[in-house]
Amino acid sequence: MAELTPEMTTEIDETPAHSHEGTGVDNRKLGMWVFLSSEFLFFGALITNYLLFKNRPGFPPPYPKELYDIPFTSVSSFVLLMSSLTMVLGHTALERDDQQGVRTWLAATALLGATFLGGQFFEFSEFIAEGLTLSTNPAASSFYLLTGFHGIHVAIGVLMLLSLFGISMRYERLSEHRGLNVELVGLYWHFVDIIWIVIFTLVYLIP
Amino acid sequence: MTDSDTRAHTYPTPKLYVRIAILLATMTAVEVGLYYLEPVVGGLVIPFLLVLSALKFLIVIGYYMHLRFEPATLSRFFAFGFVLAITLYAVVLAVFGILAVVIG
Amino acid sequence: MTATTRPVPTTTIFRRPKAKTGVLGWLTTVDHKRIGIMYGYTAFVFFIVGGVEALLLRVQLSSADATFLTADQYNAMFTMHGTTMIFLFVMPVGAAFFNYLLPLMIGARDVAFPRLNALSYWIFLFGGIFLYSSFIFGTSLAPTGGNLDPIDAGALLNGSPNGGWFGYQPNAGPTYSVGTALDYWALGLQIIGLASIISAVNFITTILNLRARGMRLLRMPVFVWMTMIVAFLLLFSLPIIAVALFMVTGDRQFGTLFFQPAGGGSAILWQHLFWLFGHPEVYILILPAMGIVSEVLPVFSRKPLFGYAAVVFAGAAIAFLGFGVWAHHMFSSGIGTVAQAAFGLSTMTIAIPTGIKIFNWLGTMWLGRLRLRTPMLFAIGFVAMFVIGGLSGVTHAVVPADWQQTDTYYVVAHFHYVLFGGAVFGIFSGLYYWFPKFSGRMFSERLGKLHFWLMFIGFNLTFGPMHWLGLQGMVRRTWRYPADYGFEFWNQVVTAGAFLIAVSIAVFMVNWSMSRRRGAIAPMDPWDARTLEWSIPSPPPEYNFGVEPVVHSLDDFWHQKYTEGDDGRPVRNEDAEELIARLEKEGTDPPQPIHLPASSYFPVIMAAGLPLIAYGIVYHTLPWGIPIIVIGAIVTMAGAFGWAVEPAEEEAPHDPEHAGAH
Repeated sequence: MAELTPEMTTEIDETPAHSHEGTGVDNRKLGMWVFLSSEFLFFGALITNYLLFKNRPGFPPPYPKELYDIPFTSVSSFVLLMSSLTMVLGHTALERDDQQGVRTWLAATALLGATFLGGQFFEFSEFIAEGLTLSTNPAASSFYLLTGFHGIHVAIGVLMLLSLFGISMRYERLSEHRGLNVELVGLYWHFVDIIWIVIFTLVYLIP
Repeated sequence: MTDSDTRAHTYPTPKLYVRIAILLATMTAVEVGLYYLEPVVGGLVIPFLLVLSALKFLIVIGYYMHLRFEPATLSRFFAFGFVLAITLYAVVLAVFGILAVVIG
Repeated sequence: MTATTRPVPTTTIFRRPKAKTGVLGWLTTVDHKRIGIMYGYTAFVFFIVGGVEALLLRVQLSSADATFLTADQYNAMFTMHGTTMIFLFVMPVGAAFFNYLLPLMIGARDVAFPRLNALSYWIFLFGGIFLYSSFIFGTSLAPTGGNLDPIDAGALLNGSPNGGWFGYQPNAGPTYSVGTALDYWALGLQIIGLASIISAVNFITTILNLRARGMRLLRMPVFVWMTMIVAFLLLFSLPIIAVALFMVTGDRQFGTLFFQPAGGGSAILWQHLFWLFGHPEVYILILPAMGIVSEVLPVFSRKPLFGYAAVVFAGAAIAFLGFGVWAHHMFSSGIGTVAQAAFGLSTMTIAIPTGIKIFNWLGTMWLGRLRLRTPMLFAIGFVAMFVIGGLSGVTHAVVPADWQQTDTYYVVAHFHYVLFGGAVFGIFSGLYYWFPKFSGRMFSERLGKLHFWLMFIGFNLTFGPMHWLGLQGMVRRTWRYPADYGFEFWNQVVTAGAFLIAVSIAVFMVNWSMSRRRGAIAPMDPWDARTLEWSIPSPPPEYNFGVEPVVHSLDDFWHQKYTEGDDGRPVRNEDAEELIARLEKEGTDPPQPIHLPASSYFPVIMAAGLPLIAYGIVYHTLPWGIPIIVIGAIVTMAGAFGWAVEPAEEEAPHDPEHAGAH
């Protein structure tokens, strides 16, 4: 145990699992999970905000809930849900070392994400046209803040997917060993999806 | 060297992922159906909506994010953040007297 | 030194920075020790600035009906004093200790994400500069229709944030705080918070994944435990204030109505969100100091820490309970009797783990052979002053008593006893304790002791009388008091004490700068200490450990030097000197080549975009506002993309282990 062999003292940065006590989880993955756990507090505050104001009587109209287009939002929720499928298929393709497959699925995921964002843009412009702006009432303010920050998260996810796509075009193959990798982006992407699952129910479906 | 290598074979197959997606889509369809039932059935749909949403949430985390197949440490951190958020914000809403309204 | 290889880089977008010295070396460094040093010096500069602001406040209050500052300048000074000391001094100085010491104490070569570490620092620095740039660019005008005197627009200090460090709404909102000053405040704290959340992820991952072989969780030094607990507190509390600050920015800049009662918003919501963050925040400030003291007391008592596990679990309990007490800051806001009773009780329970720690520290010193060196004096000062602050804190848990104390100087006395008597004494204890490790030299013990006694006396003169001033009814955040209130004598004492503290800090600065250059050369282990950072040369080499340590017990380094004698007293091993000589040799001349993460431009580039975005938001109605946001976003995204394609370490052109991996 105390005897130090050369294997233990060299290349420590490359082989953390061998020379350190630890969780056995890759640093980046552990870091991502830790970060995502804090995002619950972020979105929790935003959702709380909306729940606090959404039914408060006495505001000038309209309230966001009066304008919801449930069929439309259901379709965009479905799009985001399916983007989780394409993301995870991209990850399995990488595990098979199917680089072309990875590229295709990454592009598909980014496209679905962009579609979702387009839908959100359309929804916002409809709402604004019907008189629901940031300053209409606190329910409107908190609706836009919540869905807007979710949208920003999706947009960051799309940017990361496109970065991965670009890297894979340039270097021909993606390596999971260093830097940003498919698994990390996948974790982030699915997290953004589960937040939308909650938002869809709490904000749109429950009256 | 990364954990995914040693664990890759235990992750679900693409086939299972597609099945899960079909399940999730079906659940979403049921949710939307419940929404349209609400004027008829009343507040009764709310607990169903919450349960469906929680199930979708858990399925995505467990399978797409592989949390079922990872060391328990990760689940604990994640659950801690989630439970903490729910608890704190539930108390805030309770202090405002809103919580009762949300639960229905 | 020949054994170290920081490998020559392949190009990504830029050529890899190679400079290790000079401005470029510091700008691109990813070495946790250098980042820690930058954090430390930056935080100290802000400490001086925040201290000067406090002295201005004290000059104003030293006589009745004073006119040294205007009311608005006074508001600006107490706002920036609080904001600076909390966000720009105590938090980053904690980060400085974490950065420098954490890898050393767990036997690692660096943190888990060296570039993220650099990113945290640069974000913090740019955020701090952004916040303080409000002194130059910010404006704060009298509210329209308000009853304040119109402000002399040209007067100094008028453009800085003036809504209190707590930024209560709607006072700090668009109606009552016209001008840009509070936009700087909200966005500045947003940026600084981002730095902390990134470093929290980094420290948690580092502690969980990079501990030396054999260092199980319950063999980690208490300081490392406290680092991890603080990191979790940051992780879970900062997102809350981030949302709240976004809401403030929305209200002030984009017409949202969250906290604007006139538009249907809720001012109390701000208080909930702020204190949901704000109370964990006070433990973020104190727990690092508790960790430092838990390292210093055993070493200078020549005994192991009494009840190691109890100290660790008490720390965790404080953090956990700390999330459940926020509304005790709101007892006078009408939250209802049930909430008051519940939060009063939960607040009292925090006294239990805190008391456990106090008794553990006392038990550590009990029957120890104390060496009253400077770090030890500060540590003992910490324990004594923190007890006073803790006890006055318990009085706030009693709701009717709290109603009397709210917004009086009694509260100011309380939190300075925990934050200055606690956190700052702990920080100075740590600065002296690890000075030989940072600098490779010893400090002047005489000046150190002079510093301690001046600060100890000055501190008690400053904050002791505030207890009775507050109970007599002196209100905080009020710029002057009439002569016939009888507050003047004690206020003069307080002001004299504040200047005594300033003198003591000057003594510290003289000691630090002289000892750093001319102090006696420090040996590897000058204090006969217990933890791993003392088992490597002073100052530590770039790679920290020539040979990575293997740990067999808590305080492993100590147990290598000492065995237990027949009378239960530690007996120094005969070969202890040999051990130290061997470790020193291994440290300076490692037997194997060591790969270290390479420097990078991208952290500083990525961070540089953020203040640009913030300026753009403040001025988004001006023609150049939106373009500045776009430029800032492009800079940040370019930095992020360059980062993503740049490997953290250079790999050999052909690496057989990796080539076959996928």
